[in-house]
Amino acid sequence: MAYLGVDIGGTFTDIVLVSDDGAITATKTPSTPPEFERGFLAGVEKVAALRGETAEEVLGSCDVVLHGTTVATNAVVQMRGSRVGVITTRGHRASLPVMRSSGRAKGLTVHEVLHASRHYLPPAMVEPSRILEVDERVDSAGDVIVGLNEDQVRAAVRTLVDDGVEAIAICFLWSVKAPEHEQRAREIALEIAPDLFATCSHEASARIGEYERFTAASMNAFLGPETRGYITRLKQGLQAKGLDGRLLIMQASGGVAADDRAARLPVLTIGSGPSAGVTASLTLAELRGETDVIATDMGGTSFDVALISRGAPLRSPTSIVNQYEFFLPRTDIRSIGAGGGSIVWYDEGTQTMKVGPASAGADPGPVCYGGGGTRPTVTDANVILGYLNPDNFLGGEIPLDVEAGRRALAAVGEPLGMSALEVAVSTRRIVEAQMADLIRQMTVERGMDPREFALYAYGGAGGLHVAGYLRELGCDHGVIPLGTLSTTWSAYGCATSDVLQVYERAVRMNTPIDLGALEGIFSEMEDLARLDATADNIDADRLVLERTLEMKYPLQIHQVEVTLPAGELTDGAIVAAFTKRYEQLYGRGSANVAAAVTIVACRVLGRGQLRRPEPRGAFEANPNLVETTRSAIWIDEKGKASEQQTRVLQADGIAPGMTILGPAIIEGDTTTVAIPPGCSATPTPHGDLHLSLGASDPPVLIGVGAGAGADD
Amino acid sequence: MTETTNDGRIHSYIPPADPPEHVRELLHTETATVDPTTHEVLRHALWNTLMEHGTTITRTSGSAVVVYSHDFNPVILDEWGDFVFIGPWLQYLVAASSPVAKWTLENRHPRPGVEPGSMWLTNDPWIGATHQADVSILAPVFVDGKVFCWVGNSLHQADLGGTAPGGFNPVAPDVFSESGVIPPIRIVENGELRVDLEEEFLRRSRMPDVVAVDLRAQIAGCRVAVERMEELIERYGAAVVKGSMRKVQDDAESAFVRRLEQIPDGEWREEAFLEVATPDDRKVYRNALTVRKANGRLEFNNETTDPQIGSINCTLPAYVGGIAAMINTQLMFDQMFAVGGALRRVDFVAEPGTITSALYPSSVSLAVLTLDQCIALAGLCLSKMLSCSPDAELRKEAQSAMGCSTFPVAAYSGVDANGNVFANLFSEPMGAGMAAWGWRDGIDAGGWSWDPLVAIPNVEEIESIYPIMYLWRSFLPDSGGAGEFRGGNSLEVGAIAHGVDGVDHHAASAAHHALPLSPLFGGYTSDVNRFAMLRGTDVEAQFAGGKVPTGDTLEVGELQIIPAKASGIHQGPGDVFTLRYAGAGGSGDPLRRDVEAVRLDLARERITPGEATRQYGVVLGDGGEPDLEKTAERRGEILAERRSWSGPDAPRRVAVSDDGAWTIGPGLQVVADDGGRVLACEECGTVFSAIDGNWKDGALVTEIGVENGNRLTADPRILIDDDFVLRQFACPGCARLMDSEVRRQSEPPLWDVRIKETI
Repeated sequence: MAYLGVDIGGTFTDIVLVSDDGAITATKTPSTPPEFERGFLAGVEKVAALRGETAEEVLGSCDVVLHGTTVATNAVVQMRGSRVGVITTRGHRASLPVMRSSGRAKGLTVHEVLHASRHYLPPAMVEPSRILEVDERVDSAGDVIVGLNEDQVRAAVRTLVDDGVEAIAICFLWSVKAPEHEQRAREIALEIAPDLFATCSHEASARIGEYERFTAASMNAFLGPETRGYITRLKQGLQAKGLDGRLLIMQASGGVAADDRAARLPVLTIGSGPSAGVTASLTLAELRGETDVIATDMGGTSFDVALISRGAPLRSPTSIVNQYEFFLPRTDIRSIGAGGGSIVWYDEGTQTMKVGPASAGADPGPVCYGGGGTRPTVTDANVILGYLNPDNFLGGEIPLDVEAGRRALAAVGEPLGMSALEVAVSTRRIVEAQMADLIRQMTVERGMDPREFALYAYGGAGGLHVAGYLRELGCDHGVIPLGTLSTTWSAYGCATSDVLQVYERAVRMNTPIDLGALEGIFSEMEDLARLDATADNIDADRLVLERTLEMKYPLQIHQVEVTLPAGELTDGAIVAAFTKRYEQLYGRGSANVAAAVTIVACRVLGRGQLRRPEPRGAFEANPNLVETTRSAIWIDEKGKASEQQTRVLQADGIAPGMTILGPAIIEGDTTTVAIPPGCSATPTPHGDLHLSLGASDPPVLIGVGAGAGADD
Repeated sequence: MTETTNDGRIHSYIPPADPPEHVRELLHTETATVDPTTHEVLRHALWNTLMEHGTTITRTSGSAVVVYSHDFNPVILDEWGDFVFIGPWLQYLVAASSPVAKWTLENRHPRPGVEPGSMWLTNDPWIGATHQADVSILAPVFVDGKVFCWVGNSLHQADLGGTAPGGFNPVAPDVFSESGVIPPIRIVENGELRVDLEEEFLRRSRMPDVVAVDLRAQIAGCRVAVERMEELIERYGAAVVKGSMRKVQDDAESAFVRRLEQIPDGEWREEAFLEVATPDDRKVYRNALTVRKANGRLEFNNETTDPQIGSINCTLPAYVGGIAAMINTQLMFDQMFAVGGALRRVDFVAEPGTITSALYPSSVSLAVLTLDQCIALAGLCLSKMLSCSPDAELRKEAQSAMGCSTFPVAAYSGVDANGNVFANLFSEPMGAGMAAWGWRDGIDAGGWSWDPLVAIPNVEEIESIYPIMYLWRSFLPDSGGAGEFRGGNSLEVGAIAHGVDGVDHHAASAAHHALPLSPLFGGYTSDVNRFAMLRGTDVEAQFAGGKVPTGDTLEVGELQIIPAKASGIHQGPGDVFTLRYAGAGGSGDPLRRDVEAVRLDLARERITPGEATRQYGVVLGDGGEPDLEKTAERRGEILAERRSWSGPDAPRRVAVSDDGAWTIGPGLQVVADDGGRVLACEECGTVFSAIDGNWKDGALVTEIGVENGNRLTADPRILIDDDFVLRQFACPGCARLMDSEVRRQSEPPLWDVRIKETI
C-alpha cells in the first residue's frame, strides 16, 4: 500500500508519495491560505499526474496519508485564533496575564532581552474579562479541599457563550493530580453548548506548573475551532476523492497522531513542520546506519538544529511562541536568525559588523533579487563570492543583480574600511561561527562531543555553509540530502513518521523507591498506550514503548531526563542511570552520590511503527553531466580568502561512484553545495552527498580542481 | 572623602587603579590585535560562556530563590578583575565581584596562592559581597602560569547561620549578630573541593543540605566556564582572546562616551527614605544620590545621606553594584552589559560611615534592601539626566520610579509534615510593577527593568515544595502610579498554612511601607508595601461550605499589619497572610492620558472607576464608558484648581517651537531669550527659570497628604513620626502637572535638574 506525505508550509505545499514498490514521487505546489486543503488537493493532482494517474487512483491506493500542517503555527504566530474563554480556580485568574512576570522578554534574542525599554507583553490570547473563576480547589497531594461548584460553572459557561466565545479552556490548579473537576466542568460546558470547543488543561499537559499548562490549554482553545474545521474539511475532501485509508497528523513530538486526536489537541501540532524534517533525518540515519546525528536546516530566515542521539531525537518539554511559554512535548529544535536572508549590517553602537538576526525574508528579500531589498544579506555575500550562479538561481527563475548586492555590501564595509568582498568573506565566517556556536551549545553543554555525531545539512542554504561550520566544530564530514527529496524534506519526514504518543504522570518519589508503585504507574500508562494503539490500528507487535523518568536531588528545582535501563527495575539501576546522566551534563564529581534522589515525573513514549515499503534511493545515473567552471572565493580555516577556478556541476548529473574534489560547486534547482579546496564529496545510493573535509581516497572519477590538496 | 585605609577591613575595600607590583608578575597581559570578524565570533562565544555558566547554576541549584527569583549572576573579569561581561540575571550581585578578584590578588598572592585549579569563596560585604547571604565564588583561568582572566558568580545562599534564620536580621545591633563574614578562602584547590573548608562553611547553617547543593551549583558553574575559556584560548590563542576582551571593554567605553556626548553637563538628584532602623524605631532616614556629569565622566555621590544606623545599611561595594545595574540597563543595553568599559568613566563617591557606605562592624544583613533603593535612585537620577539629552532616542530610556524599589522580604519557616526544616520567602515582589517610561506605560507585574530574565514561580511549584496554600495571587488595580503613562501594577498574595499546624513569618524590609518613592515628572506615586496577617478568618468555614475565599469575601477577625521588621509572627489555622508590594510610579500628568487608554485600563481592570475620575479626570457614564463631555469638564475643573496653587505672580511667556527644539526634564523647552536662555513650558511658553536655575522656583506648588497620591497608600504617620507631604508642581500658564515629590514638609523643593552647560 502507498504512503502519502504532505507538508504544508506558509508558501509551499510539499508532497511525497511512496508507492508500494518503494518508488518515490515528490513535488511542490503553492500553499493556498486560508483554505489550505485546496493546495493539498492540488498537490495530490500534481503528484498523480507525474505518475500518469488520477488523484482518485493515488488516494485510493493510499493506506495512510501523513500530514504536517502549519495552520496552527501560523495562527499562533500571527495571533489569529478563536475568541477564547477560560474557567479557572477562584483566586487565580491572574495566572495567565501575569505570565510569571517573564512574558516581556521570553524567547527574545540577547540584544532584545537587554533592552528593557522596548519590552512589551504579547497581544492577549484571552481577554482578561473572559477569564472567569469558580469555587474549587485541590491541593498538591491531589486531595479535594473545595469541591467543584457546578452552578458557577454553568453560569460561567453561559456568560462566556453570550460573550461570543467559540472555545473554552478549563484551567484548574492541580488538575494533573485530580482531573475530575476539569472533566466535569467540560461535561457541563458541552451540555450547555455542544458545539463549543472545550479543552482541559490536564489533557493539554500532565505537567506541574500552572502558567505553562494553562497557556497550552488556552492556546489549544485558541487554535481549536479553526484546526478542527480544517481537518474535518480536509478529511471529507480526501474521502470524496477516494481515500479509504487513515489520515494521520504530524505533531511537534516528531510522530503522527490520528486525525481526531489532532483536532482535539491542535496545540500539539505547533512547530510540527521542522520536527518532520528531523524525522526525515532519522529515516536517512537508519538508511545510512547512523545513530547519532546533528540535523541542521538552513533556510531563508533561520538556522535550526536538532540532535538525534542513540537513534532518537532529543526532546524538550516546553516551547515558546510569541513570548508565550507553554508545555509541549516536542523535538528539541533550536534556532538562530542565520539564514540566506539574514541581514549584514554595521552596528554603530559597537562599531562592528554584524549578521542577523533580522532577515530580509522573502519580501523584500536579498538585494540581488531586485525585489526592493536595500540591505545586503548572506545570499548577497554568496553571490558576489561566486557560490551562487547569477544566471541560474532557482533554475533561472530569478536573474540576480550582482552589482546591486556588491554595492550594498560595500556600504556596510565603508565605516570599517572593508571592501564588498571583505564584508562578504566576513559574513560567511560570522554566520558559520554562529551556527557552530549553536551546535556547540546543544552538544557540548549537554556533555556530548559534536565530533562523535554525523552532521546532516538540509534546507536551501545548508549546502553552501556546511563545510564552514563542520570545520568550526572540528568535525570531519557532513551529509547533504540531494536529489528529489531534499526539497520536500519535511513532507518526506511526514511520510516516514511513526505514530507517537507521549504519556506523562507527575509524581514525587524519593529513594528508596517504591518499585511496586512505580511499576504500577508505568503499567497504567502503557495500558493506555496499547488501547490508543489499538484504536489507531497499530498491531501489538509494532508498538514500541519507552520509559523515561525525570529525576533530581530532593532539594533541586530542575530535573534531568533519564531513560530507564532495560530489564527489571531496581533502586540501584535507577540511581546509577541518573548519576551517569547528571555527571555527563554537569561534569565529573558534580553528582552528590551520598544524597537521596527524587523522581518527579514518569513518562511513556509509545511509538507505533507503521508498515511501509522502504523508499528507494533517488539518484539515477545521468550520462549528461554538465560541467562548467567559474571563479569563486574560498576561505581557509585561518579565515584567509583566495580566488580559485572552481568546477561547477549540475546536481542532476551526479551519481554514486563519483568523487568530487574541491574546490567545486554542485548546483541543484533549490540547493547549492560548496565543496572547498581540500575537501571532497561522494554521492551515495541513499540520495545524499557525503562531504569529507579531509583528503579523499581514490578512485577519483572527476575533477581535480586547481589548488586542491591535502588538508589537515 | 576622608583619608582612610580602604583595605576592606573597617572601610570598604577600594582597589588601587593599577595592580600592585607583586601582583603584576602574576597577570597575563599579552594581547594581539583581533580582526573584526574574529572579534564578533569571540564576543558571542564569551557571552555564551557566561550564559552557560548561569544556566548550569539554575539547573543544579536547590533553592527556589535562586532558580525562580534568579538570585545569582555570573561574570567574566579580566586578569586584574575588571569587568568584561556581567550576566543578565540579578546584576548588582556580581557588580561586587570585581573588587573580590582584586582583593584576592592583592592579599592572597603569593600565599596561600592564586593557583591554577583554585576557586575562592567570600561573603565579606566590605570586600565585595552585597550582604553575607550572597556568596561569591571566583575562579582564575590560567595561561602559562599566569592569571589570564577570572570567571565567577554570586549566589544567595539560603542560610549561613547567625541569629536570624535566612540571614535577614532586622534587630541586629551590629555584624556580630548576623551570619559570619568570610574573607576570600581557597575553597577549591587543584580542582578539588576542600572538604575541611566545606564542612566549616556548612556547619554554621541551619540548612546545610541546601547550602551544600548550592555551593556545588556555584562551583559547577565556574567549572563549566573555566573549561569553556580554556577551549577558547586553545582555539584562538590567549593573546587573541585577550585582545577581544579588551576590545569589548574599549568598545563599551567608546559607546558610553558617545552617549555622554549627547548629554549636557549638569547635576541630577533624587532622594528616597529608609524607614525604621530597628523594630521599635519610628524614624525615617535619607538615602540621597546625586549624579554629576562633567569632563566626559559621571560621578555618583551619596552626599547628604544619613549616617549608618540600625540594620538598614549597606557597604560601598553594594552601593556601587546597585548603581552599575542601572548604568547597564539605561546606557549599556546595546553593549551586552559590558559595564567595565563604562566604569572607566564613572566615579563613585560615598562618605564613609553613612547608610550607603557603612563601616565595619555595622549591621549589613539587610544591605540588599538598601541597595535596591540605590538602584531605584540611580534609575531616577539617570532618567532625569537622560531626559535632558537633545537625542530623542536617548530620552526614551528615562523611566519613572520602579516598582518595589526595596525588596520586601516576607519569609516563612517551620517544620514540614515529614519533620524537615524549611524556609522560603515570597518571590512575587521580583515581579514588580515595571516603571512607566516618559513615552509609554509600564508593565503590570513585569519586573524590574534591570532584571530582564525575571520569572516568578508557579503557585503549583511553591505548593509542591512548601506547606502553604495560595488562596489568591491577584493583580492589585491602581497599585501602579497614575500618569500620562501608567506605572505597572503589582500583585497581592493571600496564603494559608497547609498540611502543618502553622508557619512562622519574618519580615525584613527597609522602606516604602509608609512612603512611596517619588515618581517622574508629573506622574503619581504607587502604593506601598504591606505585610498583613488576617487573624481569625472564616477560611475554614468557607472551605467547608464549598467556597474559596478571596480578599473580597474573606471575613477577618482582626487585621494585624506586620511591621517592616519583625520575626516569628505565627500563622495558625484560620490565619491568612497577605503580601502587597509597591507598584511602579507613573510618568507625566494623568490629565494628559488619552481617554481611550483610560477606557482600556478600566476594561482590563488595571484601574478602578473611582480612580479614573479622581486621578485621570475621566467621568464615566451610566454604562461605565467614559463620558467625553463631562470628562473635558472635569479635567477643566482640576486644571482650574491647580491654578489656585501658590506660585509666581506674573509669569512671563516666550515663543516656543513645535518640533525639533531641545526639551528637558518635565517638558521644559530651552528657549533663547534676551541674550540668555530660559526654561519654558513646551506647551504654553511660560517661563520657569534661567537655564541653570531651579525650574521649580517658577512653578505653581501645592502640598497634599502622601496618602492622596494613591488610594492604596495609608497615612504614613501610622508607621512613622516625621511629617511628609506629596509636593506637586504645575505650570503657571497651562496648569500641566510637571512633577511630584515625596518630601519632608520642613524641607524646600528638591533641586533635582541642574544643567551646567549646554551642548
